Amino acid sequence: MNNPNPGCEEDVVIRTQIHLIRNLTDVPFCAKMSRADRQKLSERVVEAFSGNETLSHLFQFTDMESLSRVEAVSLVERHLVSADFISDRRGRGFFVNADETVSIMVNEEDHIHLQSSEAGLNPQKAFATADGLDDILDKCLGFAFDENLGYLTQNPVNLGTGMRASLMLHLPALREGGGISRISANLSKLGLALRGTFGSGVEPKGAVYQLSNRVTFGLSEQEAIANLQSIAMQLIEQERAARKELAESLEIQDTVSRSLAILQSAKMMANEEFMQLISNVRFGVATGLVDPIDYGEINRLMVLVQPATLTFYSGKKLTPAERRSLRAEKIRDFLKKGKYLWPN
Amino acid sequence: MLCDSCGKNPVTTHIKTIINGELTEYSLCAECAQRLGYGNLLTGLGCDYGSLLGGFFGGTELDDPVRCKCCGSTFDDIMRSGQVGCAQCYHTFYDRLIPLIQRIHGNTRHRGKVPGGGALQSRPQEQLSLMRRELREAIDAENFEHAASLRDRIKELEGGKVHE
Ligand SMILES: [Zn+2]
Ligand SMILES: [Zn+2]
Repeated sequence: MNNPNPGCEEDVVIRTQIHLIRNLTDVPFCAKMSRADRQKLSERVVEAFSGNETLSHLFQFTDMESLSRVEAVSLVERHLVSADFISDRRGRGFFVNADETVSIMVNEEDHIHLQSSEAGLNPQKAFATADGLDDILDKCLGFAFDENLGYLTQNPVNLGTGMRASLMLHLPALREGGGISRISANLSKLGLALRGTFGSGVEPKGAVYQLSNRVTFGLSEQEAIANLQSIAMQLIEQERAARKELAESLEIQDTVSRSLAILQSAKMMANEEFMQLISNVRFGVATGLVDPIDYGEINRLMVLVQPATLTFYSGKKLTPAERRSLRAEKIRDFLKKGKYLWPN
Repeated sequence: MLCDSCGKNPVTTHIKTIINGELTEYSLCAECAQRLGYGNLLTGLGCDYGSLLGGFFGGTELDDPVRCKCCGSTFDDIMRSGQVGCAQCYHTFYDRLIPLIQRIHGNTRHRGKVPGGGALQSRPQEQLSLMRRELREAIDAENFEHAASLRDRIKELEGGKVHE
């Protein structure tokens, strides 16, 4: 099996994300805030950041109201903010660091929602980053905490650590085998959630899934992470075994080769078609059916040719046809170079 | 409103997501939410408002005039929305929220991170636990003078009402 980055399990795990939810002690929670309240809190947080050397050095603030719709959607496609966050942008803003691995939403469901990402399976590193920033933010802002209840949150479901750890997984072989819903039901008994990414229509499309912990109360951050990681390793092994078997089928080999050929030569490419084809090619890379391509670069491609992000970086309004044509061009270019060189 | 997935059952969960560059909201019934991996996300206090209130208080709490000094919420407001109004609400309605929180999370307590910064004056238990930690550290560092004064203050606090 072809895995150039052992330890990070990048053949299956696309990325790790740690979320921390925090609130201030003396301000109503977000559902109780007016737009002016949100604005005021946002200004207070911006002030705290600019008053702290580390934070002001690392982060740049963006007022959500200052963005175009395309830009806002692109932030969700790039996993910097949530879809809920852009559904009402009034009085909301976020901080992001230069390499876009850490973002901090202000006034999402809670006052502060910090996210820290790492490529592949690496919850320890993502948590260490989040934990360190949490300490600094707590000194500046003073988070609401209770010895028995832990961090105080708007929804009591998040009480305790206020932490969600999530893994984005590529599970084409388990999906092909049709066992995902059974696995998902079993995982939910263990306090974890496995969900597919929606396509057009409610049913999950493509083979990208999100695995996350649901329990925040009664166990420590490290325990929650260890639990998630050990279950993820079992899923990863199952997926690998299923891949090995699938890769022997001539039909599957044919699908992978055709998928690569279409991506290499198509002149127009719709987003959903792309997601299916690139999933096949990623599977091909992992099983040795396709020459190696860096997983990190494939992941970057998968984000950067999403509709709003593609449009945003093109710097102009695109008709759907122009968008499909630009996407096809960027994909052809990527497959020639094995690297995604645009927009930088 | 009926579920976007099966078209049969009433909606319990709303999920916002981006599909092909557009912000989209799906409304799902409990069963489909479950099947798609969103089912076991507890929805918090609002989950079974009627039965919780009925079971615990027989509905008599609805006229309760107590309001949170910080955000103005009554206990009824919190139950109705399933959302707590502010951090102070957890103090104001502590004894009434605890059974509900136990119902969501089980009979347990926080075992994770404890913040090290200031701004923890909100509950005596927090102060106590911090002071006990400081006491251990002072003893470890053989700073006995400081330890002695901490021990006296802890005794004082423990002698008073620990649970508001
Ligand atoms: Zn349904
Ligand atoms: Zn309140």
